[in-house]
This record gives sequence, C-alpha cells and structure tokens, in this order.
Amino acid sequence: MSKISRRDLLQYIGAGGIGVAGGVLYGEGVQRKVELLIPQVIPPEDYSPGVATWYNTVCNQCSAGCGISVRIREGKAKKIEGNPVHPVSRGRLCARGQAGLNVLYNPDRIRTPLQRADRGSENTAEISWDDALTTIGSRIGRLKIEGNAGRIRLLTGRTRGHLDELFAQFMNLLGSEHYQQYDFTYPSALAAANKTSFGTDVLPYYDIENADFLLSFGADYLGTWLSPVHYSRAYGNLRQGRQGQRGKTVQVEPRMSLSGAAADEWIAARPGTEGLLALGIAHVLVSSGSYTGNDRDEWSSALQAYSPSMVSAETEVSEDTIVRIAEEFGASTASLAIAGGATAAGTNAVASIVAVNALNHLAGNLGKPGGVILNSAQTFPAAAGSSPAGLQGALDLVAAMQAGDVEVLLVHDTNPVFSLPDNVGFRQAMENVPLIIALSSFHDETTVMADFILPTNTYLESWGDDVPDPGVGFPVTSLSQPVVAPLYDTLPVGDIILSLARQIGGELPIHMPWASMEEFIKDRWREEFDERMSEGQDQNFEAFWQAVLEAGVWGQPGAAAGGQPESSSSPTIAAIADPVSKFAGDETDYPFVLHPYLTATFLDGRGANLPWLQELPDPMTSVVYGSWAELNPVTADELGIEEGDVLEIESPAGSIRVPAFIFPAIRPGVVAVPIGQGHTSYGRYASDRGVNPIHIVATLMDKQSGDLAWAATRVKITNTGERLRIVKTDGVTRTLGRQILGPGNDHG
Amino acid sequence: MSTFVEKLRQYSKPGYYDEFDYHWTMTIDLDRCTGCEACVVACQAENNLPIVGEERFAQSREIKWIRIERYWEGEYPNIKMGFIPMLCQHCDDAPCETACPVYATYHNQDGLNTQIYNRCIGTRTCAVYCPYEVRYFNWFTYTWDEPLEQQLNPDVSVREKGVMEKCTFCIQRIRIAKDNAKDDDRRRVRDGEVVPACVQSCPTEAMLFGNSKDPEAKVSKMMKNTRGYTVLKDLNTTPSIVYLKKVHA
Repeated sequence: MSKISRRDLLQYIGAGGIGVAGGVLYGEGVQRKVELLIPQVIPPEDYSPGVATWYNTVCNQCSAGCGISVRIREGKAKKIEGNPVHPVSRGRLCARGQAGLNVLYNPDRIRTPLQRADRGSENTAEISWDDALTTIGSRIGRLKIEGNAGRIRLLTGRTRGHLDELFAQFMNLLGSEHYQQYDFTYPSALAAANKTSFGTDVLPYYDIENADFLLSFGADYLGTWLSPVHYSRAYGNLRQGRQGQRGKTVQVEPRMSLSGAAADEWIAARPGTEGLLALGIAHVLVSSGSYTGNDRDEWSSALQAYSPSMVSAETEVSEDTIVRIAEEFGASTASLAIAGGATAAGTNAVASIVAVNALNHLAGNLGKPGGVILNSAQTFPAAAGSSPAGLQGALDLVAAMQAGDVEVLLVHDTNPVFSLPDNVGFRQAMENVPLIIALSSFHDETTVMADFILPTNTYLESWGDDVPDPGVGFPVTSLSQPVVAPLYDTLPVGDIILSLARQIGGELPIHMPWASMEEFIKDRWREEFDERMSEGQDQNFEAFWQAVLEAGVWGQPGAAAGGQPESSSSPTIAAIADPVSKFAGDETDYPFVLHPYLTATFLDGRGANLPWLQELPDPMTSVVYGSWAELNPVTADELGIEEGDVLEIESPAGSIRVPAFIFPAIRPGVVAVPIGQGHTSYGRYASDRGVNPIHIVATLMDKQSGDLAWAATRVKITNTGERLRIVKTDGVTRTLGRQILGPGNDHG
Repeated sequence: MSTFVEKLRQYSKPGYYDEFDYHWTMTIDLDRCTGCEACVVACQAENNLPIVGEERFAQSREIKWIRIERYWEGEYPNIKMGFIPMLCQHCDDAPCETACPVYATYHNQDGLNTQIYNRCIGTRTCAVYCPYEVRYFNWFTYTWDEPLEQQLNPDVSVREKGVMEKCTFCIQRIRIAKDNAKDDDRRRVRDGEVVPACVQSCPTEAMLFGNSKDPEAKVSKMMKNTRGYTVLKDLNTTPSIVYLKKVHA
C-alpha cells in the first residue's frame, strides 16, 4: 500500500455512510505523526461540519454480540446506541455497551508498541512496529523451523467470526495445536448440559418474550446472563407487551440480583441445592400427572427419590412452595426454566442445568413459542468456531508453562491473571515462559507480564464479523467496521497476525496473503456470496457488501432454525444423579458461603477501567467506586457488624479485606462480593480500588464440563475493627409512606 | 422592564400554554423497568455530564440528570425491591421556577422546565425548592482526562462552576426534530420523532416520550392507563412525567 497522508486518511473516513477507511488504515501513513496547522482546508467528501453520521458496527463489551450504531461528528465518536435493525439489540443498549466510548477515548490506552525489560513493572520502552514484528517474527520463525512450533501458544478471550478463523489458521500453519480461549463469563457448563439434554451444544434461543411463566435458577438474564439487552427487551414484553396477559417470573438465588428484584417471587434456596429444587419440581410435575409423555414411567422412577418433603428439607424451601410452583409451571401454556449464575457454578453445574432443562422437557415447551428454541450451528463465517475451555483449559496451560513446554505465549483480549483464582498460579507460571507477547489495548494484570506489548485497535477502530451467541432462532451474521480512524500508533489484531505471518515467511504468507483484516473478511464474504448466489441471479457482490455494511447485519429471518430438540430421557436421567454441589472448606471452620457475582457494569472486571461505569451506582446497592461484602441484616446484627466495618473474608484459598454492606435480600449464611474491582494494574480508574473475590475462590470444578465452580467456596468472616466508608448515592431506602412507587404499592 | 413584567403576566394567564402545539410528556412503566441504569449512562453520554470522581461522590456532589432510586419493601425472606427512575418532572406548576431570583429557570411554551445556564448566578434556591431532588449544582468546573473530551456532544454546552443544571428532556433533540419538521413543511413533529437519550436506550422499552397535546400520540394513550400516577401528587406540582405502577401478582 502506498504512503498516504493524514488528510487523505480523513477523507476516506469521512467518505459517506460506509467506513471505507479500513483498507487504508494499515500502512505507514497512519503511523507517521503528522500535525496539520489548518486541518481540512479541503474538507473530505461528504463531510459536513455539524452533521452527524451514524455507522453500524458490533459491540464487543460482552459476548452477546449486540449490533450498535455509533454517532460520528467531525470524525469523532459521540454516542453509541443500539442498531435498530439488529435482531439482538433491536435499537437498545445496556450501560456497558454505551460506555464503549470510554474504551475508545480512554486516557490509559497503550499508544505505541512497547518493550519491557522487567516483568510486572510499569517501566516500558517504546519500540517501532518494524522492530517489534521483526524480533517476534524471527523468534517464532526459528521455533517453527526447529520443529518446536508446539511450544508456541495463543490464548485469547471469547473470539468468534473470521478473527477466530484467522487465529486458528495462523496457529495451524505454524504447526501448533495450542490456540485456546479463556473467558470467565463463558457458560461452558450450560453448553455441556445442553449437549446432554438436547444433543447440541449450540446455545438455544430462550424465548422469554412469549413465556407466561419464567422460572430462573440463578440466571441474571437482565444483568449478565448470555444476552442481557435482548432478554431485557423480552422481559418488558413478557410483562406488558401482550394485551391482558402478564407473564410471571420466579427467581431462585441466594442473593437478589437485578432479575431477582424484577421477579414476582424470589426464593433463596440453600446454596448448591438449586438443581435439587428443580428435581423436586420435576417430581411434582410427573407425579401429579401433568406430564403425559411416553417415557413417563422412566421419569417417575428416576424422580422417585425427590419428593417435596425430601427436597424441602435439603433446599430449605417449603413444600407448599415447591408444589405450588410445580403446579403453576405445569399449568402455564408457555413455561420456561433457565439456569445460570451460581446454579451453573457449583461442582454439580451440569447436573443442575440438566435438571432445569428437564423441567422444560416435562412441561412440553421445547421448540415452542415461549420455550426453548434450538439454534442451528451456523456455517458462516466460521464453520467450527472455538469455544473457551473453562478452568480445565487454563489448568492445562498452567501445567504446560510450569513444565517449561511453552516458549512463546501470545495473549489477546483476556486477563487470566485477574479472572482466575490465585491458586491456579497463572502469574507464577508465566514467569517460566521465555517470551510473552500481549496484543492488548490496556495495561491489565496479564499485559504487565508481557515482554512485548503490541497495541491493538479497539473494536470501534477495527474490521470484524460476528455470529451472535446465543443466536436468535435464525441465521444472523453481523459485520463490524471502523467508525473512526485509529487514535494512536495501533493496529487491528487481525492485521498484527497477518504481519507476523509475513515476517515468519514460509508457507504462511502464501496461505494468508491478505494485506489486512478487511481484505480477509471481504474475501471470505465474497466466496460465501458466490457460493450462495445461483447462476441466474445478479451477482453484484459490491452492492451486497455495501448494503451489509450499511445495515451492520445480514440475516435470514424465517430460515430454518435448529429443528425440534430431541430430548431423550435416558442421558438426561443419567446426568441428574448428582444434584447437590460440594463446597471447598469445612462448614465448622468456614461457616459462610462465598457468593461472588458478576455485575452488569464490570462483568469479569473488564469494565472497571471505564469512568462512566465506575461512576454508575450499583443497581442494587447504589455503591460507586469500590467493593463491598453483602451480609443479611440479622447475620450482621448477630456478629455486631455495621456498614463500613472492614471484614477479613478468609477461604481455604486466601483472604480479602473488604467493608461490610448490610443487604436485606441475601440469605443468612451467605456473603456476597461483587466481581470486577481489585485491579492492581488497569489504568487510573481501576487500579488499587476494592478487591477481587475470584482470587480467593477455591479451584474446584464442575466434573462434567471442567468449568470453574466459582460459587462453591466457603469462607469465614472476622471483623478487623477497622472502618472504611462505603461511597454510595442512596439515602433512605424505604418509601416511608410517600407513595413513591405508586398508590397501593407502598407499604413503608 | 415593563415588557418583561407584561410577558410574565401573559405567561401566567390560565390557558396561555394551550395555544401552543406541544406539551412534552414522558411515561415510565415500572412494570417494565428493571433498574439496569442504561438510561443513566445514555444521559451521561448525551448531555456531557462530568466525571466527578470518588471524592465528590462521597460529598454527594455527583451529577446525574436521571438516576434510579431503589426502595425496599418487607424483610427477608419476603422482601421486594422497587426501582423508580427519577429525573426532572418538568412540573407545570414547578416550585423551582418561582424560586429563582434571576429567572434562570422558567417554563417554556412546550411545557419544558428549562434552565438558562448563562443567566444562573448559583443561589441554589431552586434545588432547595425541588421536592424531587433532581437539580444538580456545579461546585467545580469539571475537566475530562484527555482524550475523553473528544466524546463530548457538540450539541450540548459544557457547564461551568457556579451553575445549576438538570434534565432538559434532551432539548437539543427536540430542536433538531422541529427543524426537520419545518424543513419538510410540517407544522408539528411526528409522534416518535423526538426520542430523548434515556428513552432511546431503555432495553425494556419502559419509557415513552411524546406530545400529550396530540391525542393520537402513544404517550397520550399510555397516560390514561389505570396504573398511571404522579410522584408526590399531594404537592400539586403537576409533573409532566406519568409513572405506571408495578403490578404485584
């Protein structure tokens, strides 16, 4: 690509509704710092000061894959809203998605390639892209020639679409099988359980919108579970979207989440027994004759042991409640049961979720509106996408690093040092790796361990495509484009991989000939387009491409979904045999259950460097800028603990010190700590603020999926006598008869 | 001065505002609202609200034109949480308007309670008079860590120390919609053409905004819902925001 000036670049960026700049973003023109005395004497084509342009792209703040529209004025991103034509977000967007602008314009972004002599320290030296890529490329190339390519590892966060394919292809061509993903929030257990229940691990579409009765076991579908924006809209319509019909929701969880607050009934079953509760409800469904399937006898004998009285004793939910919920669940036309959160994070996660899935089967709502609708595995863009491997995958990587089997570690878009328990020893194991390269936009805890930091463009400056997971019942692929020119001397991650391939040489550049990620994606889309278009049709790919770019999404509504779920009872029945979670720590030594929970703002900690989210009062407590430990008022009273008392929370795996917060909607015997804060290194807004409860989670895992059982740790609490003020916006949290919530809804 | 007084008399005449085309009104359905706070960030982005820092929060000097209030009912285990988004109610009989010594806050012809920043002298009387506690004072001139300032919305002014600010119902969006209507030779903007940032973002579609003088507007129909109520009704402030209470099944 020839040299281009900054003015040309801006012209490209401003040119019309489509961000055609992507192709020219890669090249020296971007990297040369040019200061113009009078910017844009000749304004770029289609650039009018004062007129906003909206570009459609894809949100990358969680794995839901919402389509977004970004408002651009004078080349700057001003606001992010949901893309109205995108089937996941439908024009709406959550707090985290809107705070994407804080990612783009974050003052702590890495602006140039960096080299670090001393791991863990903040001291880095600037280095040119050429030097960095040459050094890294020759190192990797040597390993490849020596036949030691297996000693190269690539660890990324949840990655889908063609970027996933690019990573896989790069590692394949190198001759390494070690491309893996780690994402704390990825529901490995749910996928494994659905494989057992429905025969496919493609996440299904949970049709909350059309349900009459939604029974959620721990899944905070309004805050953090799978696709919060989509499910929030569905929830709104479940409540008030149908004339004369209001859906009911019940939430089972030890600590009230956003979804628990929205529910008509909140049930704090004993932690770890949620799956058992589901079996108790299933027992009633079968024994009351509500279920009339052919395999009724099999179910009847399998569920024989889980009588309401037995389940009630274990779960501490009253028999009446179990029977009543079962009856309502069975009687509703469209009842739906979902599982997530702590229910999906015990040592029996898969068994619990399979038990919940069984409720859907017994109520006969599989493949029906308001029930579980299967998504087909999409063949485009990625035929067989990779999935994060949970705790087991991380442990394997740590073992390999400790054994000295890893010579080069490339890390992108994941922060395992922060989002894995301390006991896993990821950071210590990294010390054994001779060369660590971070492809990152921020100095997080994993990036500070890297010898080379290759700064990546943020998602708002990158090309990409994505298949939302879970899907929406029909094939959908979203396309993302850069909405602004890169702010700094950074490159899209795909372009870095392609540059490395060129540096390494050999057959890599032959099989990966693309100059940029944009070219690669467009090439692949063209292939797919040619394949799908029959002879007679007008084969104008460019028009198609422009149309998809403008819309930001391509889909086939009405195309066949995943078909009828085949829910055979025998594997399900075999899988539910283990309904109660085990806990790390003895009950006498560690009397409390630790309930770490994801927040809608920070998720697994990735949002903590965004000032808008730090300043957003926590929805349930109104706390800003910090961590807290929630205790039931009665428990706190017994222990003489008041808000702001600094508690030492000790698990068999470690301890944290965090101020107490008295929270009226948490089960006695449970202490809840939000995940997200406690960064030691993540920029000015996140660093040295609060604590990270993941660090003291014991490394138990779900046996069937290998997923981290992060809700299966017991702790003890000591009041240190120190005090720390919790900063919050709430004053009085009772309406005191002021009828604020409406006449008749106010009980003081 | 006399013209000013005359105008003021004219404005206070009953029925004066009926002659105009708009009365902007919002409805918020608490049966849909989940307290997710997407609206809070939407407002922050749209209206250039400052990032005030932890220390200012501890001093209750945060600035959020819309916030979610939370109220507990009952005790464990029979406990419920009620969320209610609280923003300027754009009262037709606004206590804040009578309080301002310099007429920095007044009622405009569209039924908006507006704030003129460069007229405000910072007595903070209006904030004291407001029963909804939705007026926010700039105790400092806030700055943005570079390059966060590049995000600032050029359609909205950035406020300085000594000025009171509050929700405007995204008046900049109303202006743009009116301009567009004028360009198209339409007398009024269409229903749904003006969408404030909070309403736009709401994932559960709990909020509706529109002209309640148009009987066909969605918001006019929603206002008649039997669950509708206004907050602190006894104060006779006549708010322009109608809440629909949550259904307790």
